Amino acid sequence: MPTANTSRPALSVSRTRTELLVALAARAVPPLWPLDGAIAVNPLAGLEEQPFADALRDGALLFDARANLPLSLWRRLASRDGLTRAEVRGVAIERLGGPTDAFELLGPDISLVDCVLARLFDLPADAEPALRKDPNAALLAKWCGAFFDGGQAATAMPGRSSGLWQAATALLRHDDEFRAFSEADRLLSDCPTDPVVAVENGLAALHVSPDDRLAVLTRLVARLPGWAGHIRWRTDHADPGVRQQAPATMADLLALWLLLEQASGRDEPVADVELQLSTEMALANHFGFPPGDGGPLLARAAAMAEAELGLIFQIAAERRYRDRLLAELTGSDAQATRTRPDAQLVFCIDVRSEPFRRAIEAEGDYETAGYAGFFGLPIAIHPPGAARIRQLPVLVAPQHNLALQPVAGREEQAREELAGQRRATTAADLFGRLKSGSATEFTIAEATGPLGAALMVLNTLFPLVARRLAARWSGTGSALAPSLAATGACSGLTVAERVGYARALFTLTGLSRATARLVVLTGHRGETVNNPYGTALDCGACAGHAGGPNARVLAAILNDPDVRAALEEDGALPLDSWFVAAEHNTTTDEVALFDTHLLPASHRPDLAKLEVALVRAGDANRRRRAATLPRSPDDCATGAAHWGEVRPEWGLTGNAAFIVAPRTFTREVDLDGRSFLHSYDWRTDDGGEALATILTAPMVVAQWINCQYLFSTIDNRRYGAGDKTVQNPTGRLGVVRGNGGDLCVGLPYQSLFHDDGTPAHVPQRLLTAVLAPLARVRAVVESQEVLRRLFDNGWVQLVVIDPTTGERRRWQTDADAGDRDPYANLEER
Amino acid sequence: MSDVTDTLQLHAMRKLEAVVHAEDRSLVENALRDAGLSGWSMIRDVAGMGHTGFHQGRTVFSDETGLVMFVGVGTAAIVARATDSLAGVFEHRPGVLFVSQVEVMRSNYFGAA
Repeated sequence: MPTANTSRPALSVSRTRTELLVALAARAVPPLWPLDGAIAVNPLAGLEEQPFADALRDGALLFDARANLPLSLWRRLASRDGLTRAEVRGVAIERLGGPTDAFELLGPDISLVDCVLARLFDLPADAEPALRKDPNAALLAKWCGAFFDGGQAATAMPGRSSGLWQAATALLRHDDEFRAFSEADRLLSDCPTDPVVAVENGLAALHVSPDDRLAVLTRLVARLPGWAGHIRWRTDHADPGVRQQAPATMADLLALWLLLEQASGRDEPVADVELQLSTEMALANHFGFPPGDGGPLLARAAAMAEAELGLIFQIAAERRYRDRLLAELTGSDAQATRTRPDAQLVFCIDVRSEPFRRAIEAEGDYETAGYAGFFGLPIAIHPPGAARIRQLPVLVAPQHNLALQPVAGREEQAREELAGQRRATTAADLFGRLKSGSATEFTIAEATGPLGAALMVLNTLFPLVARRLAARWSGTGSALAPSLAATGACSGLTVAERVGYARALFTLTGLSRATARLVVLTGHRGETVNNPYGTALDCGACAGHAGGPNARVLAAILNDPDVRAALEEDGALPLDSWFVAAEHNTTTDEVALFDTHLLPASHRPDLAKLEVALVRAGDANRRRRAATLPRSPDDCATGAAHWGEVRPEWGLTGNAAFIVAPRTFTREVDLDGRSFLHSYDWRTDDGGEALATILTAPMVVAQWINCQYLFSTIDNRRYGAGDKTVQNPTGRLGVVRGNGGDLCVGLPYQSLFHDDGTPAHVPQRLLTAVLAPLARVRAVVESQEVLRRLFDNGWVQLVVIDPTTGERRRWQTDADAGDRDPYANLEER
Repeated sequence: MSDVTDTLQLHAMRKLEAVVHAEDRSLVENALRDAGLSGWSMIRDVAGMGHTGFHQGRTVFSDETGLVMFVGVGTAAIVARATDSLAGVFEHRPGVLFVSQVEVMRSNYFGAA
C-alpha cells in the first residue's frame, strides 16, 4: 500500500525535466565498479537498443573511438586463423546489398566487390588517428580524483559532505588552471548551490535549444566515461555508507562540465578528414585504370569507412567460428547418469572452466556440470570489522547477509587467521600513514629502507618464497566461512530459503538427484600480485570476487539434514551423497578443497582418489595454458606471485560462445576454453522457466563480458585501459594512465594482445547455442524484452538446436533479413 | 453508496498507474517524488500482453529485466504534476499510464491538505 505522507514540496516542472534529461544522459556510460570488485560491462550498453552495426558507428562518434579493429590487425588475424578471402567475400557481397549490387562492373572484370576486397586485403590501411586532447576533461578529472579519493591521499578534500558540485566550485576559487579563464570569477560568483539548477542555467547560458539538450548532456557524460561510470556505480550500486562519504550525482558532474564549457568556450570534437579521394586513386592504381573511369561505383567502394570494412571481417570471423562449432556439436542428448560416477563436479560457467572440466573428465569416471558461479545464492558476506562483500551478480541486490564465522572444528586456526589479517591490515595502514606524513616520510624511509630492499629482492628474485611468507603473515582465510545461521545483524538463511537454493541447483542445471557419493561445488579465482586488475580474473558472477565462499555456502546447505529431509518431498538425494566446496585457481590450476575435515570417514577414500585426479587435471590444464602464454608450466605459479608480471593468465580472452545444454552434448568436443557452458536439460523444464532464467541472467552477464573484451580489443585506448606499464591506481577506486586523467574503463592491453601486437582476442559477438525444442526457445525469447533486444539487434547471435529433430535454426536479426546465411530463421516454422 | 461508505468518510482523489521497464523505475520514482506524491506501491515482475507481444513476469536472478507497475494516489493537483513529468519520461522511454478517479480513506496519507 502507499506509504504515509513524508513527501517533500513539489519541485518545478522545469527542474524535473532537467533531472530527467540528466538521468537519461547518464545512461551513455555503464557503471564502473571499483578495483576491489571489477565487473565486466558493455561500454556501449547505452546503445543496446540500436542494431549492433549502428551502435558501433554511433558509439565511435560519442566516445571518440574506433568503430572496429584496424584493418591491419584484421589481416593479421585472418592470416593466423585461416580466414579465407572467399569467406570474407561472401559477407562483403551481403553487406553491399546482394549479388546484383556487388557484381556491378566498374570496368572489364572489375566489380564493386573486387574493389572492396582490395581495400580489405591489399591496399594500405588508413593511418591510426591521433587521440584528441581534451584539456577540459583533464581538468575535471583532476577535481574528481581529489573528491572521490577513498583514503589514498593523506589529506581529504575539504567540503566533501556538501557534494561534488559544491565542493569543487569552492575549490575552483583557488585553482590557477581554472582561474586562467577570463570569466572564471564571474561564473563562480553566479553559481547556484543546486547542481540541477546549475545544469539548467548552464544549458541556457550556452544557448542549447531544448531539442539539443539531451544530446549535449549525453556527449558531456561520454567525454569522461570513467568518472561518469564511477558516479553511476555510486548512485546505482554502492552501499549507502560509501555514497555518503563522497556524495555525487551525474547532475554534479554535468554542472561542472557546463561551467567549464562556459568558461572555456564550447569544445566540440572535430570530425575526421575524409580520405575518400586518395582511396579512389589507390584503388584505380591497384586495378590499373584511370580514376575517372571508376564512376560512382569507385566512389562507393572508396567511401566505405574502415569501420564498415572491419565489420565485414568481424562477421566473416563470427560465421566461421559458428559453422565450425555447430559442425562439431553432434554429441548425445542422453541423460547424463549411466552408472553412478565416482564423483560429480559443478563448475562456474566461466570459459576457463571448460578445459579444466575436460581434463578432470579424462582422469576417471567424473561427471561435470556448469552453473552460474555464485551458485544461485544472492548473498553478501560480512567479514569481522570490515565492509560487506557482495557475492552475487550485479543484476541482483543481495537478499541475505551472512556473517563470516569460524568453521566448526577449526576455531583456533580461525582466531590465528583473524589475528594475521588484522596484523597485515594494521601494518599496511600504519606504513601508509607514516609514508605520507610530513614529519615521518623521511624517517620511515630510513627506518624501513633495509627491510624494503630485502622485500624488493625477495619479490623480484624469489616470488614463490614471498608468496609463502605472505600466506603465513596474513593467513589464507580458509578457517572462516559464511555462516548459514543468523548472527548479529546478519540474517542468515532460513530452512525454507536453504531448500529453495538447494532445489534451484537441480532445476536450473538439470542435474539428476541421483547424485554421486561426492559432489564438488567448485568456485574459482585468479591469483596475481601488484595488479590493479586482479579482481577481473576472479568470478564475475560473484561480483568480481573469489567464488569459494558461495561454494561453501551451497555445500553447507546441501549437507544440512533439514534440507535433505525437505528435499525428500520431491526427490531425495542419496543418503551417502556428500557435498564438498572447492575453488579452482585459474592462474595456477590448483584446486583447493574446503572443510574436508567435516567429511565422514566413509568418504575419505573417495576424496583421496579425487585429490589425485585434481592434481593430474591441474597439471594437464597448466601445460595447455602455458603454451598459450607462452611460458613453462612451472612458471604459471611464478607468474601468479611475481610483482612484475603483466599477464599472469589470459582471463576470459577468446570468449565466444554460450552453450546451454547437458554436458553430454559437448563432452567430446575441445571447445578451446572459449565457451561458457551452462548445463540444462529441456526435459525437466516444461514451462521454460529455467531456460528463461539462464538466458536473462547468466547469458546477460556473459554478454557483458563478451562486449567488454570485444570493445577493449577494438579500441584499447578508449574502450579499454591501455598499457599496464603506465597505469597508476588512484583513490583506491580505479586506474589512470600516467599521473592523472579519466579512470580507465575496460581491460588492459596486455590482457588482450600478444607482445607482438597481434590480438589474442578475436573481437566477435557472443554466439548462444541452446539445445531445446524450437517452440520453447521462441516462447521464452518472445516473452523477455531483454532477450528480444539482444537477439533482434544482433548483440548476441542465437542458434537453437532441436533435440528431437537435430534441426538448427538461428534467430534472425532485424538487420539481416534477406542475407544468405545457411541457417533458416527460427521464425520460419 | 453503501453503509460502509457513510462510516468510512471517503475522499475523492486521483489514482495514477504506470507500467514501465524495470530499468526505468528510477525515472518514474523521480517524477513521482518531484511532483510531491507522498508514496506509491511498486509491483515488480508484471506479466501481460502488450502491443509488442507477451511480457513474461518472473525472472529469478535479475532485478533489471521485466516490467514494473507503479500505483500512486494523490490530489488532482499532485497527480497532474506527476503526469506532466511522466509525459517527459514517455517521450524517451516506453511505458503506459492510467489515471482514474478514486475514493480513499485517510486522505492525509496522500498529500491532501
